[in-house]
Amino acid sequence: MKFSYSWLCEHLETDKNATEIGDALTNIGLELESLSDYSSYSKFVVATIKDFKKHPNADRLNICKVDDGADTYQVICGANNVKKGLKGIFAKEGMYIPGTQIHLKKGKIRGEISEGMLLSERELNLSDDHEGIIELSENCKNGTSAVEALKLDDPIFEIGITPNRGDCLSIRGVARDLSAKGIGKLKPLKYEKIKKLEFESPISWSIKNDDNSCEYVVSRYFKDVNNTKSPEWLQKKLISLGLRPINALVDITNFITVDLGRPLHVFDADKVGKKLDMRLANSNEKILALDNKDYTLDVSSTVIADSNNALAIAGIIGGDHSGCTENTKNVFLEVAIFNPNSVAKTGRSLGINSDARHRFERGLDKNMVLEGLEYASYLINKICGGSVSKNTDAGKLDTNEHKIKYDFNYFNKVIGLDLEPQIQVKILKDLEFQINERSDNECDVLVPSWRNDVKNNIDIVEEIIRIYGYDNINVSVPSSSKDEINNIENSLVNKKFKTISKLKKTLVSNGVSEVITFSFHSNRAQEILTGDTSLKISNAISDDQSFMRNSMIFNHLESAELNFKKGIKNIQLFEIGPIYNSSQSQENILSLLISSQDDTNSIYKSVNFNFYSLTELVSKLISSLNFDIKQFNISRSTSNIYHPGQSAEVHMGKKLISRYGKVHPLMMEEFPKLKNTYAIELFFENLPIETISRINSINISDSQFQFSEKDFSFIFEKQQNLYEVQRYVTGIDKNLIKNVEFFDLYESKDLGDSSKSVTFRVTIQSKEKTLEEKDLEQLHKNILEKVSYKFKAKIRT
Amino acid sequence: MDIKKVLNEATKEIEQSSNQLDLQNVKVAYLGKKGKITGLLKSLKDLSLDEKKSTGAELNQLRGEVDNLIKIKFNQIKVEEINSKLRNESLDFSFPPPNSISPKVHPISKTFDEVITIFGSMGYSVAEGPDIETDYFNFSALNIPENHPAREMQDTFYIDDKDKDGKPFVLRTHTSPVQIRTLLNEKPPVKIIAPGRTYRCDSDSTHSPMFHQVEGLFINENANMGDLKGTLIEFCKQFFNVQDLKVRFRPSYFPFTEPSAEMDIAYEIVNNKIKLGQGDRWLEILGCGMVNPIVLENCNVDTKNFQGFAFGMGLDRITMLKYGLTDIRSFFSGNLNWIANNGFSIGDF
Repeated sequence: MKFSYSWLCEHLETDKNATEIGDALTNIGLELESLSDYSSYSKFVVATIKDFKKHPNADRLNICKVDDGADTYQVICGANNVKKGLKGIFAKEGMYIPGTQIHLKKGKIRGEISEGMLLSERELNLSDDHEGIIELSENCKNGTSAVEALKLDDPIFEIGITPNRGDCLSIRGVARDLSAKGIGKLKPLKYEKIKKLEFESPISWSIKNDDNSCEYVVSRYFKDVNNTKSPEWLQKKLISLGLRPINALVDITNFITVDLGRPLHVFDADKVGKKLDMRLANSNEKILALDNKDYTLDVSSTVIADSNNALAIAGIIGGDHSGCTENTKNVFLEVAIFNPNSVAKTGRSLGINSDARHRFERGLDKNMVLEGLEYASYLINKICGGSVSKNTDAGKLDTNEHKIKYDFNYFNKVIGLDLEPQIQVKILKDLEFQINERSDNECDVLVPSWRNDVKNNIDIVEEIIRIYGYDNINVSVPSSSKDEINNIENSLVNKKFKTISKLKKTLVSNGVSEVITFSFHSNRAQEILTGDTSLKISNAISDDQSFMRNSMIFNHLESAELNFKKGIKNIQLFEIGPIYNSSQSQENILSLLISSQDDTNSIYKSVNFNFYSLTELVSKLISSLNFDIKQFNISRSTSNIYHPGQSAEVHMGKKLISRYGKVHPLMMEEFPKLKNTYAIELFFENLPIETISRINSINISDSQFQFSEKDFSFIFEKQQNLYEVQRYVTGIDKNLIKNVEFFDLYESKDLGDSSKSVTFRVTIQSKEKTLEEKDLEQLHKNILEKVSYKFKAKIRT
Repeated sequence: MDIKKVLNEATKEIEQSSNQLDLQNVKVAYLGKKGKITGLLKSLKDLSLDEKKSTGAELNQLRGEVDNLIKIKFNQIKVEEINSKLRNESLDFSFPPPNSISPKVHPISKTFDEVITIFGSMGYSVAEGPDIETDYFNFSALNIPENHPAREMQDTFYIDDKDKDGKPFVLRTHTSPVQIRTLLNEKPPVKIIAPGRTYRCDSDSTHSPMFHQVEGLFINENANMGDLKGTLIEFCKQFFNVQDLKVRFRPSYFPFTEPSAEMDIAYEIVNNKIKLGQGDRWLEILGCGMVNPIVLENCNVDTKNFQGFAFGMGLDRITMLKYGLTDIRSFFSGNLNWIANNGFSIGDF
């Protein structure tokens, strides 16, 4: 909310300056967002361009002779509005220019001395206008300060009002809160009640809505008014807030909305019927509002209507047809209490953010209904003349004040500060709460009518500490207990984060960079990856971010393409983050992408990355978590993300641990620039991470006795899973077979389409002795026989 | 006598050998079975005892000297041969390596790690909740009723799918629903932090539709607002690595805390850069407050016996402040150059 210092002082008697008031506002929870204080601009003065000529060395520059009343200066100026006799704002050398944040230096510009500068509005931070230098009226005297000449002597505050403080959406409310902080004294409102209410209003009210959206409405009829332009004081006030004066009647309602926080509405009485209703809108009822837009209403909205038309959307905006213009002769003033909920709902569904809605949905001071009516009547009558009717109303105004039983000790318990009851009571009284003390520890608190946000004990605690000052709360740091440390050690989530750190370290040390991409992906990605359609974001910002991702692969391909366009040829990136299978199933996974493009460097030839290099990386990742890839079941992947012939899946029981392979060529068609692209997905949450620790790592036997190696070649069926063979061979003699390593694979026509030739090396070592030749031979024979029998494999010689 | 002559001859021949084979031939010629020195030694048997003694000693010395000379020469030749071989193996050390992107961990990861460590040392364990939340957990349970203006403080993304109350799922606008989930599952005392992804429909240089927050929650018999201040000041001192830290707590409003506060850190501009800790300007760091008893009651916590505080802070924001980064959008662009420039290598992670 915006207001000027002088306006605030109409409600608050204070000797504090703008800066002090600004600090106090922040301290009581009305955060100062900006304070335009121009007192430092008094050093800039009015000066006249006495004469000017073209700069000899620059077409666009002029050499001006400038008179500031005391002296004349030579100023080089590039503005296009330079002319003889122009009065502007002059800054001398050495002065700080706020808009450009530089100190003026005396110097030569293209060889000509410049002793100062004529300023634009932007250079003074007054606006973004940099079209030319400021032009003042001719009767400004040279040497007058800029503060005076530009009328910058009234600082403007802009504060943020939290949604609970509807009472501070008025200058009077802000003044009242400041007075409770001791910043000044609240002045009484100055106006006179209309002495003579001469006639019965020809227009009357009835409330016909059955959802209680209008509690009370009261009106007066003004006859024979003269709706002119507002007086200067009123126009100036509105302009100071950035509002455009329209005509006196409208300006008065806008003024009261800001001044007292009391929205009200004026109808041109000759444009509305004699019987007005508060009623629910008909379905598809239409209204052209004062913002010149057509709105279609539904039955949940409340309207003000005569027998023909909806005239206004209750608490939100008036109708264009029934509004007051300078021709208005008779006026019907409406002051009402609407239900905050229904105003909020209607306002939101229609997308109207009016000053009235903003205040109604935060709740209004019910005692301000009649005061607002009187104050508006006074101003209308004073400015526009005419005669005023008696009140006409409908509904019942419930002004019962809320009473809370409050325990003084509660404050101490919550805040951790012993504050005596007298001090608590004083603060509450300064805030105009009424106190009836029941005992030493307890009192009854009567909440003022404007504070409908204060409902229970904790709200009262907040009021007291807000005024007492958060700075005065003692600081203490609770130490951690043994139980808490135990909790951390046993926490599965803590373990998971440790696992994630390990994976990150492993990947970065293997040359892969971490990225974080959005949890969304595009329409196209959704189509290709066949995600759950219910994961569509209803109000997505763009098509690229229209679904919750069920895979990160598309985002990563997009990243890879972006990096490729930046000239990076060897792209290796990973992300650890969520993917979504449905709105109620989310898992954190590791997703990695490697895309290596043609390598033209003939000296530093990097090894060609292929499916097998990828397999090795998967194995490294799994062993960085103290698991062994050989423990798992590994099979071909059926995922449509991957090349069906160059991909695999790792399972533990039924749980998917990893999928990896060359990215499916169909998917790569979307990214034609990328070649040779591989991906890994590691579903690490499916690993039993609660058991991950050093103790569980695989025990590699270390023996001091001599080892022997023997190579075996078999012809297997092409489909034979070699992990199975490896596991089987290792199991033939767990004590002696230390390692089984596959190192050659051969497929050819002579073997036939359904066979493959595979060679592996078995390392044999005993923990107890050096093995004799005959033991070794026995074991070799055993391996040959068992493998060929078990897998129907031919021994190759 | 012959001995001196033989030594001179041998020395000359050894010197003249230029490879191992030549030298071997010299060795055979003097020290082999039929070698000159061996022959002289054999001829000793024809001499008298006295002559045997003196000549024998001289001959043995001669043999030793020649043998030694051969060994020295042998080593010289070997070194020379290796050197000559190495000269042929020489590569161009000055051929520059290709440019490569140095792999790094994302700065947000570093912040996650530090936040978990610092709060861990204060006894906070880590909790989690889903990104796709129900309206109830994200709003209503946190005392943000429907149609309350507070809902508009946060621009919410909705999902087409609806929850069991018939309301569309939301992308959580803050990490605060983890407070509710944790309190419904665990009996107090509860002391947790919940870092994670959060979403609001907003996009410019300081707002991203996705960002990161960490939630903190401490509920026990007596955790009070002084403890809240102390905890957060301690965190900021450690995280920003500033011991002499000027902070300010000012009243604010969040429906789920009461009293509510926002915490600001003082800063000044030194050489066009933000310096945190001192100065007369303020930067908002986080929102916090005492958990509203209404929220505790929504989670079936006995508010007669339990109370506590909660806080939430933007992890991207504190990362940007700590490392002087200016555009949040670059965090999520997947630009590897940016990661290489702003990320952390293993040693620093």
